[in-house]
Amino acid sequence: MTRFSRFLLGGMCGVALCAPGLVAQDPDPFAKLDPNSRFAVEAIIDSAQVAGLPWRNLRSRALEAIAKKVDSRRIVAAVRTRFTTLKEARAALGSVGDGELGAAAAVIEVGVKPEQLTALRNPPRGRSPLAALTVLGDLITREVPRDEAISAITKLWQEGRTDADFMGLFHGVESDILQGLNPGAALQNRIREFPGRAGIKPAPPAGEPETLSP
Amino acid sequence: MSDDAADVQRVLAGDVDAYAALVDRYYDRCARFAVRMLGSRDDAEDALQATFLRAYRALNRYQERDRFSAWLYRILVNQCRSVAARRAHRERVFVREEALLLNTPDRRTGWTGEDEEFVQRVLSELDPLLREAFLLKYIEEMSYEEMSALTGVGVSALKMRVKRACDRLRDRWERIKND
Amino acid sequence: MTDAEEHPYVEWIAHEARRSVTTDQAARARIMELVRAEPLPSPHHGLLRRLLQPRALSMSPIASVALAAGLIGIGVVAGSFVHRRDGLAKAGQPPVVARSVAGLPVSDTVVKFVLVAPQAGEVSIVGDFNDWNAKATPMTRVPQGAVWSVTLPLGVGRHEYAFVVDSQWITDPRAPLAPDDGFGHANSVVLVRRGSGL
Repeated sequence: MTRFSRFLLGGMCGVALCAPGLVAQDPDPFAKLDPNSRFAVEAIIDSAQVAGLPWRNLRSRALEAIAKKVDSRRIVAAVRTRFTTLKEARAALGSVGDGELGAAAAVIEVGVKPEQLTALRNPPRGRSPLAALTVLGDLITREVPRDEAISAITKLWQEGRTDADFMGLFHGVESDILQGLNPGAALQNRIREFPGRAGIKPAPPAGEPETLSP
Repeated sequence: MSDDAADVQRVLAGDVDAYAALVDRYYDRCARFAVRMLGSRDDAEDALQATFLRAYRALNRYQERDRFSAWLYRILVNQCRSVAARRAHRERVFVREEALLLNTPDRRTGWTGEDEEFVQRVLSELDPLLREAFLLKYIEEMSYEEMSALTGVGVSALKMRVKRACDRLRDRWERIKND
Repeated sequence: MTDAEEHPYVEWIAHEARRSVTTDQAARARIMELVRAEPLPSPHHGLLRRLLQPRALSMSPIASVALAAGLIGIGVVAGSFVHRRDGLAKAGQPPVVARSVAGLPVSDTVVKFVLVAPQAGEVSIVGDFNDWNAKATPMTRVPQGAVWSVTLPLGVGRHEYAFVVDSQWITDPRAPLAPDDGFGHANSVVLVRRGSGL
């Protein structure tokens, strides 16, 4: 384990001990895996540590699958896939944090090509593509056609839109889809409402706070 | 109302077991497409499970004027693409655990005979987009309009893909013949 | 086939490929198992819209400031996901509503999750912050009430999570969804940003 990750782990443990709501974790959560699968998963996590990739993301992926009672073959496959996509995310995005890598890996796994993310690469100080990538993942999950979603998110990022803008887009599209609008059309509608395009920015629904970071 | 639409209505009214009728009606046919498309029963099962789960969750978006099979196939085709994409990521070379796992048994193939294995191998050699078009046209026997609605690709592009798939298959035959 | 495509070999391939494949009965049976563990699909878009009419959320000044400092992940849930299969939701009553509100913090990196689920017996939260352990982080119900909540310290960054309501995993329908997990489920995402001053 690198010094940095030991520091992080120590920090997180400190926080966890101080706060209610997180009882002691199962001491050996991987015990539920058969020996071969466990060995494979731990080897992949180890490789990730050596490569400086977000190994906690991999560990979490394995534990999530165990909790969802997925069979071992598919757990190993999922962790293996995630290892590669984290590598691809790092190659595409350059110097970003673990959250950004995790979000990028998740969208790469559902078909976004790493090269389609290069517009978000090496963000300037004070900017993070985390909200953009999160909303991209959401749009694709709600069946907005992938290329339309990528194109919209990339353009908004290049225009310098804020996290609030991205989250506003997410809320708007989600609301439209729930009302029965086709996902692609919902996206196009809401994109048009941005300042600088036709129409005005939609206000958040009354009663819902402006939650979003500046 | 078709059987499919009636079963959908029953599920939306709260009768979960009515969904079993839809699964029974379509599973084998979907399995055939998934296996032919992905070339692996394990991967096909992953795609089938994801397909029927997603279809269940999205039932309220199914409109009776659409053919249920076309609606379901749109989900199936997308899930097969996702599974294939994940597999492509997975099959990159790994440093450490690859050697450790050399003794793990291969994925099941389960081909019933030499012919099936051969046909599957031939299909797997086709570029995925060509294979997909070929399967939808000649195994699912869809019209180009249906295929277009399902894949989002234009009719002429689909015709081109089917033609190219057939050309490749013919070329393969020529090579076999001449060996 | 068109004339151009007709060829005995191509026709043979198509003919063989049309044969049915043997399927694993267990895999097939598993589908209905998974389906039965799901919430019922909601039949009414219109109903959802009415249920989503926002309700005023009261918030302490501290919370407002911290929200402005950048916590994301507010969710308002509605829907028939707790529509019981045993038919306990009686006709004429509105479907049970669950509402989750993430992001009412007491410090920069602490998040309060709130869920309204009046008919639930047991609610917990699972996520990458507690190893997805459904027993690790139960949510507590306001006495006599419908509101379940828990306050958690979360590391800065991105977290995936879900609620477990009477053993059913549900996403927060008003939070962004993480891409399909590859296991047939989806998770929700909360983003935690460091507040001003740190």
